[in-house]
Amino acid sequence: MNPFTPRVAAVIRREFVLRVKSKWFLLSTLGLPVLIVGLGVLSAFLAVRSATDAGEERRVIGVADPAGLIGDLLVEELLADSLDAVRAEDMEELAIDEARTRLSGSSYDLLMMIPRRDGRRSAEMPGATPDADEGEGDDERTTLLARASVPSVIEGSVRGALQRASVRARLRSIGVQSIDPGSLLQRTSFDVINVTESGEARSQDIYRALSFGIAFFFYFILLIYGQMIVRAILEEKQSDIVEIMVSSLRPWELMLGKIVGVGAVGIAQMAVWALVFALAAVYGLTAGASTLAEAGIDIASIPIPWGTLVLMFFFLVFGYLLYAGMFAGAGATISNEHDAQQVMLPITMLIILPFIATQGVIQSPNAGWGVILSLVPFFSPLVMPARLFATSVPVWQWLLSLVLLGVFVLGAAWVAGRIFRVGILMKGQRANLPQVLRWIRHG
Amino acid sequence: MAAAAWRRVRAVPMIGAVNTPAIHLQGVTKRFDRKTAVRDLDLEIPRGSIYGLIGPNGAGKTTTLRIILDIIGPDAGSVDVFGSPNVESMRTRIGYLPEERGMYQKMTAADHLAFFGQLKGLKRKEALLRARSGLDAVGLGDRADDKVETFSKGMAQKAQFLGVILHEPDLLVLDEPFSGLDPLNVELFKRLLQERQRAGATILLSTHLIEDAERLCERVCMIAGATKVLDGRVRDIKAAAGRRDIALSFEGNPTFLDAPDLIEDISAHGTYVEVRMLEGADPQALLRRAVDAGALISRFELIEPSLRQIFIEKATEAGLSHEDESEDDEAAA
Repeated sequence: MNPFTPRVAAVIRREFVLRVKSKWFLLSTLGLPVLIVGLGVLSAFLAVRSATDAGEERRVIGVADPAGLIGDLLVEELLADSLDAVRAEDMEELAIDEARTRLSGSSYDLLMMIPRRDGRRSAEMPGATPDADEGEGDDERTTLLARASVPSVIEGSVRGALQRASVRARLRSIGVQSIDPGSLLQRTSFDVINVTESGEARSQDIYRALSFGIAFFFYFILLIYGQMIVRAILEEKQSDIVEIMVSSLRPWELMLGKIVGVGAVGIAQMAVWALVFALAAVYGLTAGASTLAEAGIDIASIPIPWGTLVLMFFFLVFGYLLYAGMFAGAGATISNEHDAQQVMLPITMLIILPFIATQGVIQSPNAGWGVILSLVPFFSPLVMPARLFATSVPVWQWLLSLVLLGVFVLGAAWVAGRIFRVGILMKGQRANLPQVLRWIRHG
Repeated sequence: MAAAAWRRVRAVPMIGAVNTPAIHLQGVTKRFDRKTAVRDLDLEIPRGSIYGLIGPNGAGKTTTLRIILDIIGPDAGSVDVFGSPNVESMRTRIGYLPEERGMYQKMTAADHLAFFGQLKGLKRKEALLRARSGLDAVGLGDRADDKVETFSKGMAQKAQFLGVILHEPDLLVLDEPFSGLDPLNVELFKRLLQERQRAGATILLSTHLIEDAERLCERVCMIAGATKVLDGRVRDIKAAAGRRDIALSFEGNPTFLDAPDLIEDISAHGTYVEVRMLEGADPQALLRRAVDAGALISRFELIEPSLRQIFIEKATEAGLSHEDESEDDEAAA
């Protein structure tokens, strides 16, 4: 029997049209791309700004090194990094507390305090983390005193300079002078490329990021749209219209109409987003291809995994139906906003849990527990899509996961339908758990 | 009227035998937890009638209506609508106005009514057309595209009622249709109801205001404490209750009233006396005696008992408590 009778279609249509025409839809649909673009622009802007700020604002860095350990080397390195640095001999005999009070009257904006060699096992390594059992006091640690907050760019430069100076000091102590510390400190990097069964190669980092992104997006969608279901059902009760509705269609038809209607709004919203991002991507990639190429990213080498995308869409739809059913059942047991928060909480937790689990699964997507979680309904709508992106999942796993999820969707719909049938006509007090269990048993 | 098209008279489609009642309940019982809301109720509502379900608040009227509409199922007994036990299949032929009759505040009136029409099987286009002409007919034509939330209470009441008759139902079920209505809307509702009846529809309404039922309904069923007390034509009910009270005004010797073979009780009411005849006694005999006694009679009137009096008598006879009566009186006043 086709459950989408004309009257169910009417409910779906009403739910969809009214929501898509609402201000909320306009704001959130356009808001997300604007927000993402805005955040990108803002962070780029801030990065550029702080770099310029660092260049414009000259800061004088005093280096107080009473023991004469690496002071001169540090000043050299700082100067090499085009920062104003000078030995702060006038501050050398001061304890940190004193230096702190005198700083404002001095000519330094920043003061690097290198502790004396006393109590130090290896004097050549200032700045290195002291061993815990050496029991050094706070005043024995290398400290950067600042009059105002230190821009992260400058802090980074100082850190780098200190590290190089420290390495040079150590080299000097063993009699090596001719080695450039920069070459010693150079990072060694490598790429991790996963090779799928079909022999396709893909960069692990990108896919991990995508995995996380997709899990976060699904989590977000399930949460937002689940709450919308509860509101949609609450609206029925609060506008006193329920009885007219159930005289025209069966309660489960009303529930189905609400869930599908709200879900259709979600699909419409995602379609708009997909379109916006596709346009932005085409535009952005064309414009920024050379920059990306410089960064060693070849756009053409990132294949679009259509199969995975389609499969993930199924997980999203099934996940939505599962959670929407639960939210609908919960919505039928209440008649006011206040109770809404309370009944939504346990279901919300049930969505947060797999989201948290996903972060671990992404790190080792083929570990036993990750595989198990990706099969367990309630978890699978978030965990399996994340795994699908992070690794190559055997067919039997996603197939089994989808089938189990489907079974649970039907189960949730059945239970929710039983609760809905009785609950939808209840007013006033929130139904308690024994009551709800009785509804489920006897309908 | 320009808008007469949507209310055109339509023959009732006959499903089942012509003489099957519109609604037929047999032995219907419904319990909630420990409380019995409806007990062993039999009901037969003929096609084309205006039928009143009367009784105090909490008597089980709303539960009965919900059972008829298949919103809730009975614990025992059977329900037939238009001769079919499958009420589900009759839904598009039924219009229901519950006591709580809200609307979606954010929808426009025309859109909202069209939605109701669609739920009842109308195509959207047709439903929109009817919604607009219906709003026109009740003077809300210029507000058709305004949101329901901007409507006054009276306007919302009109819109709610339109929503129930838009699909021209063959059976109209109304729960306390007149409660909370402004007087103009009461008249409008009655007019629209009678129009529906002329078009062949059956109308079942519940009310705790017995006077309303007495004015509007041909037949009533009285229930109190979940049990049927009385049911039938209003005319028959009154006839069966007997016309034993006489209002009498006269000048002259009152000795003819000393007639223990005819009269049970007399009470004086200023300008007239009220005489209660003995059961089976002939009022004409009393009139003859008065004339013979030379009394000058200006008024001799058989007083019909009101449905309310009959109801209270019957409910008392049946030993049913009517705690709700006092509340009822207030509401009636």
